[in-house]
Amino acid sequence: MEGSSAAVNDEMDWVVQAQNGSDEAFARLVEAYQTHVYNMCYRMLGEPESAEDAAQETFLRAFQHLRRYDQKRPFGTWLLAIAAHYCIDRLRRRKFSSISMDQDEEHGGLELPDADGPNPEIEVVHGEQRQEIQDALSRLESIDRAAIVLRYWHEYSEAEIAETLNLTVSAVKSRLHRARRALAGFWQHEAPRHKLERRPHESPAF
Amino acid sequence: MNHRPFEDWLLEDEHLTAQQERDLQMHLRGCTSCSAIAGANLALHLARPAIPADGFTVRFGMRLAEWRRQQRWRQILGTIVLVFGGLTLLYWLTGSVLLTALRSPSGWITAAVGYFVFFLASAHLVTEVSIILLDALQNLIPPGGWLVLSLVFAGLGVVWTVSLRRFTQRSEGV
Repeated sequence: MEGSSAAVNDEMDWVVQAQNGSDEAFARLVEAYQTHVYNMCYRMLGEPESAEDAAQETFLRAFQHLRRYDQKRPFGTWLLAIAAHYCIDRLRRRKFSSISMDQDEEHGGLELPDADGPNPEIEVVHGEQRQEIQDALSRLESIDRAAIVLRYWHEYSEAEIAETLNLTVSAVKSRLHRARRALAGFWQHEAPRHKLERRPHESPAF
Repeated sequence: MNHRPFEDWLLEDEHLTAQQERDLQMHLRGCTSCSAIAGANLALHLARPAIPADGFTVRFGMRLAEWRRQQRWRQILGTIVLVFGGLTLLYWLTGSVLLTALRSPSGWITAAVGYFVFFLASAHLVTEVSIILLDALQNLIPPGGWLVLSLVFAGLGVVWTVSLRRFTQRSEGV
């Protein structure tokens, strides 16, 4: 608990120093949040190159608007809000262009290594599941996708998702509900190979 | 127990008691649609976060330096365009007047004095007319009317302030 409060204090120090023009302090913030932001962008956009570019752009926008950051709000939430809105805009633009999402998804993302060491068979299964998850996510509307990413990868509450995406809590609930149903439909019809056994210790409801 | 509550538990992401958990497990064995929801959610829970390639912060530093360089260029170009544009506009607007003025200084001095006198006379006239109008309005509009007018203007001021705040508040999550 003390460690986490010290980390928050460090973070606030870096934010204040960065607001006063310290590049080094901002670099520390980039170092601390790069995985969060990159993961958000990767899950939203579906390919490593776009995710890298979007994550860099997110940090650049954060740097440009650092003076507007309200210190009452968690810095991570503010950053993820920038990333989510940037990716939603990018997906909207992509929708109107002729670039195919399927083409984009031929590339795999960089993921954390398996803690149990390399096992080719498991890696292949993980790779397929990873691709299936991206395929399933790509079928969701962009705001629903952002809500799902914040809920499952960043473990945000519905209230935090609402704050991040500028929605009401009831709108978030309904979007999560709709997205889960859509993902289940995909899982039932298009990804039957890797049906996962539900583990009793996993709660809430999974 | 019918299918609906189990589906709601899964879709609403609710915390379950041990008994509900057991009931759900039983239900999942025979219900393909609920199994699909549970399967999809479990896959999402188990998915690991994607991480950027090594050197992300260094690449960001380079991007920031490039952005700053472009900003500097934009500022220089903006200043040049502004100065030259301003000078051209100034010359276009005042060139002929300046040339005439330089040819006959007595003419423009007379004109300037004339304009000054005209300005003073106009200001005096406007003041006189305003005083007469205000006197007339004071008799025409009752005190209640002045109150209503004040409230209308105050309301418009509030609407204007609120609109400004709404437009200038953060957008796109920034």
